[in-house]
Amino acid sequence: MRVGVLGVGKTPHKIQHNKSLRDLAVESSRLAMTDAGVEPSDIQALYVGNVGSVGFNYENSTGLMVAHHTGVVPAGAVRVEAACGTGAWALHLGCVAILSGLYDTVMVLGVEKMNDLATVEGTSIIAQAADSKEEYFSGLTFPSGVALSARKYMQTYGLTEEDLAHTSVKNHHYGARNPYAHLRFECTVEEVMRSAKVADPLKLYEVCPMTDASSALILCREEILRDQPDKPQVYVTATQMATGTWYAATDTLEDAHRLFAEPAGRAYAMAGIGPQDVDVAEIYNSFAIQEPLGIEGLGFAEPGKGWQGAADGSTWIDGKVAVNLSGGLLCKGHPLGATGATQAVDIVEQLRGTAPPDMQRPDSEIGISACRGGPGAVGAIHIYQRLEG
Amino acid sequence: MAEILRYGAYVPRHRAPLGEIQSFFGRPGRPRSKALATPSLDEDALTMAYEAAQDALSGGQRPGTLIAVSQSPPFRLRKLAATLARTLGLDGVTPLDVAGHGGSLLDGLALAEAIVGAGGEPVLVVASDHLVSYEERVCDTLSAGAATAFLVGADGGFARLGPAARASREVYDVWVLGTEPEPRYRLEVLFETYGAVSREALASLQALTERSTGEYAAVCPSQPHPQTLRGLGRAGIAAEQLEHTSFVGEIGNLGAASVGLALALGLDRAGEGDHLLALGYGGGEAIARDIAVTGPPAAIDAAGQMADAEAIDLSTYYRWTRGRQAEPH
Amino acid sequence: MTVSAIEFSRLGPPKLRLYAMRCTACNQLSPWWEHHHCYKCGSDELVEEELSGRGELSNYTVVYYPPRDFLGQEPYVVGHITMDEGVLLPAPVVGVAPEDVEVGTRVRATLRRMKLGHEGDIYYSQKFVVDDEAAVPAA
Repeated sequence: MRVGVLGVGKTPHKIQHNKSLRDLAVESSRLAMTDAGVEPSDIQALYVGNVGSVGFNYENSTGLMVAHHTGVVPAGAVRVEAACGTGAWALHLGCVAILSGLYDTVMVLGVEKMNDLATVEGTSIIAQAADSKEEYFSGLTFPSGVALSARKYMQTYGLTEEDLAHTSVKNHHYGARNPYAHLRFECTVEEVMRSAKVADPLKLYEVCPMTDASSALILCREEILRDQPDKPQVYVTATQMATGTWYAATDTLEDAHRLFAEPAGRAYAMAGIGPQDVDVAEIYNSFAIQEPLGIEGLGFAEPGKGWQGAADGSTWIDGKVAVNLSGGLLCKGHPLGATGATQAVDIVEQLRGTAPPDMQRPDSEIGISACRGGPGAVGAIHIYQRLEG
Repeated sequence: MAEILRYGAYVPRHRAPLGEIQSFFGRPGRPRSKALATPSLDEDALTMAYEAAQDALSGGQRPGTLIAVSQSPPFRLRKLAATLARTLGLDGVTPLDVAGHGGSLLDGLALAEAIVGAGGEPVLVVASDHLVSYEERVCDTLSAGAATAFLVGADGGFARLGPAARASREVYDVWVLGTEPEPRYRLEVLFETYGAVSREALASLQALTERSTGEYAAVCPSQPHPQTLRGLGRAGIAAEQLEHTSFVGEIGNLGAASVGLALALGLDRAGEGDHLLALGYGGGEAIARDIAVTGPPAAIDAAGQMADAEAIDLSTYYRWTRGRQAEPH
Repeated sequence: MTVSAIEFSRLGPPKLRLYAMRCTACNQLSPWWEHHHCYKCGSDELVEEELSGRGELSNYTVVYYPPRDFLGQEPYVVGHITMDEGVLLPAPVVGVAPEDVEVGTRVRATLRRMKLGHEGDIYYSQKFVVDDEAAVPAA
């Protein structure tokens, strides 16, 4: 398959009290449409990824609201939601729309505004993307649910908290260089270890901030982008989705591995490549432990060894595969509905060569974005390729 | 005939610093209790009753009736006994709530006696309270919390419920207006009345049993305040009879659970042939009951449980009790 | 989160006791929420099974930033308990300092207040305490 990426755009990722949910959506949509060289009237369908507008913003039906304010009316629009995998699902639906032949040009947009409420209210709303009725009823929050995975991982493979701390160090190195990131400071292993405990063993520097942001992509039929050779020839070449258990109690390390490994296997086949061909990867890491798990799920490392790349350099900018050169969600934050779309934008920029110099991996040709959601409920894999000519 | 088959008690581990509470509110004088046994944020009369019932039900006998005695049930118009029965897996049991007063465990035992005497299945009587007073009132009311449970059957037990006697006066010592959630109190009336009606009830009991008050191995009384126990000396009760069954000066006023804990402490140490005197008091009424120990008790080491104590600080005490305080009047 | 009195009437009573769901087709014991279909074999023939309340802490975390309903209780231990019957359940472990629990600690279920609904109902549920009566392994 080939779906053309005609344009991309993203807002800064940070607390933005002066911008509303719709302000953010309009901002990213305009950036993407300008980049694509299209008008709102060219958009034939709009997929808006948003998770928590009912809770965070006391408003619903985000797709319709964004359609109005971005000017794409009368094209069809819908809100897409799949917990933290929402943005990737919006992308998937955009690709499916193009591949179906029903649409030529669509917009995929992710948006989340998390900071109008106090943090403690916000975490309660985030917890609704897991089973707050039964499992999280017992006092679990998202960080504590993931903390259980971290402890399991350390126990299973005989690792220490220091081993895992390297992931944060790498992400913060690049986040500091990303003008769009929420957190822009570097840190050392010692500083990660000393940072405040959030949910043992996860510490503050291993947990993402709550962020306001939006990002958007304009997708088109392959021929439309081919016919504009002056535009960067970046295409989505695979899109594969999966579900897993809705409950942390039934989410083993094998399940976590499978959540990425199965759709990734299908995606590699779809794109005609293997893990060794990937230059850059955006791997969901709202909590640091998810990056090693994702690296293993995508086949970049054996189970139990996914953490090593951050320590030995093989997942840094000139390593075997550069993971999260954007600073990952640890530094960008995790605006729930936008994240999956932002990952796509960041990979496209890498393949285009337009990322800031000290976070740009040169000559990147193939990229992958891996998004997940819920305790272990959503897996979403997209592969992108820059084609010559 | 009615006998105690088994019993249980639950005393929360946490001890709140009454001295610091007094100091915080600028109340002079020595604290009347060393500390207050304080249920944690997630405990209440129901959860403590559940814990106390565990030992009482551990013998495998299934009750046909559950009587819950409490001044602080989580809800009114919904029975504590009914929710407790559900929690204990006692489906089909008859649930009865006895509101009464601080000595109403003995009302519960009297009801149990009547039920098993009429041929009914065993009765589980639970007394549980989580008293919380508003701000500086706790310095007077010594409000604390605990739970006790007694399984009463027609036979097969180790202690027989003997004769009982009552005396009462119409007084205002500690009372709650129906329209208000917070008790009012006149401690001087409490101190005077507790001693006076206890003496009357004990005299009546002596006439029934022909056993003098001094002959009981232990006296197990309601104890809303240390001063009330001092008044028992004039009722013919010796200090030795209260030595192992008084605790209000250590852990505070446990409401309806006080007489229950005193009885549990007495039963733990009782031997075959001993007689215990249970003395419930509340609202101007004293209820005295002779309990004859006929065999070795299924002891639960209530004293050991009380000794398992962990101090909490003032901020923890207020964080845990803030949501439970009633509005002042 | 906010719970209405109607939802409380529906979800509250099952939490007064500790039970799991037994699949009558494949015998798998699943947590109490799996009453629609067996996660292992897909069968919809599931029955409630009472649990003894005793188990072992097989994983846990210590929460320092609680959700709103748990404010004031932090830091608290919440974990996965492998019940003696074999099923893994999530629950808080209370009455013990976080540094005094470890993977393998024996625990038993008890009833505690969990949270307040916004219509004034009290949501009770199962929490776990360290099982003092658990046999201590020979040194």
